[in-house]
Amino acid sequence: MAIDKTAGRALKFLLGLLLCWHSIGFSQNENARTLFADNKAGILQIRIIDVTSGSKSAIGSGFVVNNQGLIATNYHVIQLAASKPEQYRIEYLTAADKTGDLQLLDVDVVNDLALVSAADLGAQPLPLAVAEPPIGVAVFALGNPLDLGLTVVPGTYNGINQTSYHPRVHFTGSLNSGMSGGPTLSETGEVIGVNVSTAGNQVSFLVPVTALQKLIAEYQGRAAAVGDMSQRIGQQLVDDQQEKFTRMLALDWATMPLGQAQVVDELKPFVTCWGGSNSSSEKAQFLSADRTCRSEDNTYLRGKFNSGIIEYQFFWLEADKLNALQFYAYYQRLFADFVPGNKAEEKDVGDFNCDDQFVTADSVENPRKTKAIFCARAYKDYPQLYDVLFLQGTVDDSRAAFLSHFTLAGVSQKNAQAFARKFMGVAKWQ
Amino acid sequence: MAVIIEVLGWGGKSRHHYRVDGPSISIGRGYQNDVVLSDSHISANHLRLDVVEGGWQLTDLDSLNGVEIIKNPSINSVSADSTSSEIVLADGAEIKIGRTRLRIIADSHPVDAAKELHRLEKDVGQLNRFSIWLPLLLLVLIVDITALYANSFVEWQWKNALSSILFTQVFLLMLALFWGAVGRFLREEANFLGHYNLILLAALVYSASDWFFGVIGYNLSAEFLIVAVAPLLNLMLVAVLLAANFALATSMLARQRWITSVGFVLLLLIVSVANQMQQWGEFSPYPEYFSALELPALQIGGGESVDEFILSLDDLFTEADQLAVKK
Repeated sequence: MAIDKTAGRALKFLLGLLLCWHSIGFSQNENARTLFADNKAGILQIRIIDVTSGSKSAIGSGFVVNNQGLIATNYHVIQLAASKPEQYRIEYLTAADKTGDLQLLDVDVVNDLALVSAADLGAQPLPLAVAEPPIGVAVFALGNPLDLGLTVVPGTYNGINQTSYHPRVHFTGSLNSGMSGGPTLSETGEVIGVNVSTAGNQVSFLVPVTALQKLIAEYQGRAAAVGDMSQRIGQQLVDDQQEKFTRMLALDWATMPLGQAQVVDELKPFVTCWGGSNSSSEKAQFLSADRTCRSEDNTYLRGKFNSGIIEYQFFWLEADKLNALQFYAYYQRLFADFVPGNKAEEKDVGDFNCDDQFVTADSVENPRKTKAIFCARAYKDYPQLYDVLFLQGTVDDSRAAFLSHFTLAGVSQKNAQAFARKFMGVAKWQ
Repeated sequence: MAVIIEVLGWGGKSRHHYRVDGPSISIGRGYQNDVVLSDSHISANHLRLDVVEGGWQLTDLDSLNGVEIIKNPSINSVSADSTSSEIVLADGAEIKIGRTRLRIIADSHPVDAAKELHRLEKDVGQLNRFSIWLPLLLLVLIVDITALYANSFVEWQWKNALSSILFTQVFLLMLALFWGAVGRFLREEANFLGHYNLILLAALVYSASDWFFGVIGYNLSAEFLIVAVAPLLNLMLVAVLLAANFALATSMLARQRWITSVGFVLLLLIVSVANQMQQWGEFSPYPEYFSALELPALQIGGGESVDEFILSLDDLFTEADQLAVKK
């Protein structure tokens, strides 16, 4: 009987849970329905039309933010039209199948935002949230996934991502392509962020609404569309890296050991670090331990051109079972194998220009002799910005080696040199 | 005055010759002729040559395939309306009957001056010796295996090394066999071990120069020594090897040998440069840096300070700007 009683209680609990679950689902559906109905008119599909063929080349979402017909979307949605205004124009399509032309007014390339406007849209604007919602509340992303028509995706607000330099809202829900540039609304219908990217499996990211408010204020202060978009983007990139490197270089870089060397520890919030070694491999003939740190930030500029990445990496190598010749054969193979952390094409950047030198730190006793490589390539559209790659390996021990490496994307010469100087001073084996 | 009938082989070289005395010479497949040839396209009694003023009068004896005059030094005697039965052949004339080429020469015909033997040929008896070949081969094998072993950083397995060693050694052997065959054909003298030893020696010099330039280039941070100077010197090494092979396998004069060898190497150079030209000016998203590393024991000198290094980067950025100028 006791068993029956327990079973009965468990069943009751389960039923309760189910009902409870159901009621949550019910209320979410109800909210979603209301939000959808209330805001349908203010959410648009944004289409990039190829002037020559007259067909759409890219689609995304956008939403009305004020009574003057100002519309917010992502920079990456309208990028084609920003880069080649003579070849692409921007169009909107409302839920009521009304279409019209959009004019590009301003962009914030670092936060992946853009402002466009329509002359005769006359839709009710969506209110922007003033305060950050508490973590765990239900929020709703709206947009046009895969050109399927306006859709609402319920999810959870999980706060501002702490691991990226440019703040992004962590939204637990499925954003799909085409929803980019659409709003994510709180239960009260206020915009809390702009849909921007997804890491898959319900991990998605939004640009916080504060970044949008800042861009709107900048635009309204100027009260005119940006004339030279390339110059505007270049300036934003220069300013952003300047602020980022000033902050980073002012930090006191913490170190941690790797083999007998000391390496740069995680520089928060600029990078996150990972590490590994081959010590668990039975076939390994030598010892290799590494630590890799990489920024989460990744500024989209064009189809195959991104920037803003910071990456540094360290290797500690010991010959172990190998003789010195074999050890150096491996070391040389590893040394030859470094590539930049960002993608770029011929129309975006020049070729890398590299130099190699033997460097011996002069400020310490028994300095180690190292071989250092430095490569830089310049941006074609954005003056004063470079991608740089640095590599330094010790060459004075025949049975052990310490290799340090970094790549910086979209950095000024001054900041790259200052970073290299600090990096070489901190990451060392002596 | 005797007449010499030379049977010519490939390239106009004399295969063998007949010496015939008397005022009239008969040539044909029949055994009663003065010159008996076995070519089945030649008639039993093919032609007759009669000694006349200034040469030999040719008479075609109604042969099936006739007589073709290939070369006749006294052009004047070949008048436009003459038939073959009236032709007078001068000293050095060449004719073709059936499939056989013949040269008709007076025994007073001058011959080329004797060619001086190449030093290498004089010493060939020494180079063509087993006692030189064996240590050379062992040395090449040791260098080959050591290089493979020194470059292997995974668990050493003989079966993997063996295929690579075999490939190299078979290649060198084939090269020696090729030259041996050429010598056998052109000079009836293979000198196989001589060629093999030359090739092994060149392989050793190649390995040594490769290593030497690697170390010097690394220490001077001078990549061009490794990517330009060393390959050019190696091409010169190939030219020297070829010239020596020619000296052993052919009767070419020194000048001809060098022209042929250097010409061949230049051709190689042109082909490889043309091949690389395709990539010149092509954009690469990856940096090309001088990644060579050498053992501490092979290093000379120290390095510059971090400050000097950072300062030197100014020029690098300026050059990067120039590389990004839009065309």
